[in-house]
Amino acid sequence: MKKKGKSFTGMMHFLSPFLLLAVIVVLLEIYVAVSGIDPRILPAPHVIFGKLFTRFRRDLLKDFLYTLRVILTGYCIAIPGGICLAAICSQSKLLSKAITPVIILMICIPMLTVVPILILRMGLVIEIRIIAVVLQALPVICLNTLSGFRKVESAKIELFESLGATRRQIFFKLIFPNAMPQVFTGLKLGCIFSTIAAMGADLAAGNSGLGTKISAYSGSLMTDMAYATIIVVAMIGIVLFTIVCEIEKRVVVWIK
Amino acid sequence: MSDLMRFEGVCKVFDKGLDETVVLDDLSFSVHEKEYLCIMGPSGCGKSTLLKIAGGIIAPTLGTIELKGNRYENGIPREQLKNFGFVFQQHNLLEWRTVYQNLHLNLEIFRLKGKEWESRISEMLKLVGLDAYPNIYPHELSGGMRQRTGIARALVHNPEILLMDQPFGALDAITRKMLSYEMLNLWKKTQKTIVMITNSVEEALLVSQRIIVLNRQGKIIHEIDNTIPMEERNEDIGYSEEFIRLRKQLDKIVHDIQG
Repeated sequence: MKKKGKSFTGMMHFLSPFLLLAVIVVLLEIYVAVSGIDPRILPAPHVIFGKLFTRFRRDLLKDFLYTLRVILTGYCIAIPGGICLAAICSQSKLLSKAITPVIILMICIPMLTVVPILILRMGLVIEIRIIAVVLQALPVICLNTLSGFRKVESAKIELFESLGATRRQIFFKLIFPNAMPQVFTGLKLGCIFSTIAAMGADLAAGNSGLGTKISAYSGSLMTDMAYATIIVVAMIGIVLFTIVCEIEKRVVVWIK
Repeated sequence: MSDLMRFEGVCKVFDKGLDETVVLDDLSFSVHEKEYLCIMGPSGCGKSTLLKIAGGIIAPTLGTIELKGNRYENGIPREQLKNFGFVFQQHNLLEWRTVYQNLHLNLEIFRLKGKEWESRISEMLKLVGLDAYPNIYPHELSGGMRQRTGIARALVHNPEILLMDQPFGALDAITRKMLSYEMLNLWKKTQKTIVMITNSVEEALLVSQRIIVLNRQGKIIHEIDNTIPMEERNEDIGYSEEFIRLRKQLDKIVHDIQG
C-alpha cells in the first residue's frame, strides 16, 4: 500500500511540469477565444501547434538543422575551452582575481551587439554564429568551473600533502572531481546561453537560422509561424538542458 | 623500547603580516617503537600543528626531527611520508569515491601496484569491520563508519606510524567509546606505533601507554606513564584503582591549565 503511495508521488513529480504547461495552454486557449483578440497578435495555441506539425518539415527543418549545428558546435567548443581556461587561471590566485571581472563582462555583453562588428571583419559566414555562441557560453562555464576549482576544503589538501601528492595529482584526483557540481552548473547555464546567443547572432546576421525565421515571420505578420519557431528554439534549449542534467545525475552521485 | 622518532627543539611560528604567533615552543620528546602515545592540551595549544609537523604536512620553523635514525632539519621529506598514516578530525573522505576507492587513493599516490596491495584494501576494511561495504559512497555511511574508513585508509599503505588528530571528536558519545575500544584492539593486532591527539582524559587512559600534556603556550608540561594494566582495560576500567588515581592526576593537570 505504502509503496503504491510512493510511486504515485514520484509520478506526480515527473508529471507536474507537463500538467502546469497544459494548464497554461488551456488558459491561453480560453483567453484567446473569449477576448476575441486578433490572431495576428496572439494566435490560439492549437493554431500554433497545428502549424508546427504541418509546416515544420517544409518551412523550418533546414533552419532547424542549421541552428542546431551552430549551437552544438559552439557549445562543444565552449565546454573544453571554459574548463581549460578555468584550470589555467586556478593555478594562480592573482590570475583568477584578474580574469574574473573580464569574464563577468563577457557574460553581460549581448551577442546581438557584437555580431555586427564580427560581420564587418569576417563577412557572413557560419563561423560568426559559432563564435558568438562560444563567446557567450565559454565565460559562464569558465566562471562556474573556476569557483569550483577554488572551493576545496583545506583538510582535503592536507590529506594529499600527507601522502606527498604532486600538483598534478592534487589537480586531477582532488580539485577537478571536487569541482564537478559547479562544473555542471556551468554546463547547464552554458546550454541555455548557447541557445540565446545563437538567436542573437541570427537576428543580427540574418540570412539563415531559426532566429532569422522568427524575425521574418513576425515582420510579415505570420505570428502563428513565429510562435511555432519559438517553440522549436525552446525545445532545443530544454532538450540540451535535460541531457546535461541526466549526465550530471550519473556523475555527481554524492549530492542528492 | 627504542626511539622511532625524536623531536628536538621543535618550534613553529606563524607569520600573519606583522604579527608572529608562536604555536609550538621548543618541543623535545620521543616516540617509542610500537607505543600508543596520546597528546593532550587545551584548544589552540598547537597539538594539531605538532601532528602535522610529525606527518610531514608542514615543516617546523626551527628544530630537527629524527626518524629511524635519520635527522631531518626541514621537516619530514616526501620520500619518508610512506611511514605515516594520517587520520583526520573529520573523516575527510572523498565524496566521489566509494569506500574501496577512497582506500585505493593512497596506493595510487604512493604508486603501490599489484595484487598484494589490492587485497590489502579488503584486509584493512575487514580490520575495521567494513568489508561488507566496499562499494558504498561516504554519504551513505554513518559517522562512525566514515571514521572507520578513514582509519582503514590511513593503514592501507602499511605505515609504521599512525597519526590521529582527535579522530573521534566529531562522533557521538557511544560511537566514540566503541571506537576507542576498537582502537586499542587494532593497536594490539597491528603492532603499529600510534600518536593520537585527544581531549578526553578517559579515552587517553583507556588506550595509551604514555600521555604528553601541552600547555597553552605550546610547551610540554607533563609526561605521564599510563600504568593501567592491559587486562584491566575493558568495560570495567572505571573500577580500576590505577585508572581512578591517574584520572584524578590528569583532571587536576587539565584544570590547572584552564585555570
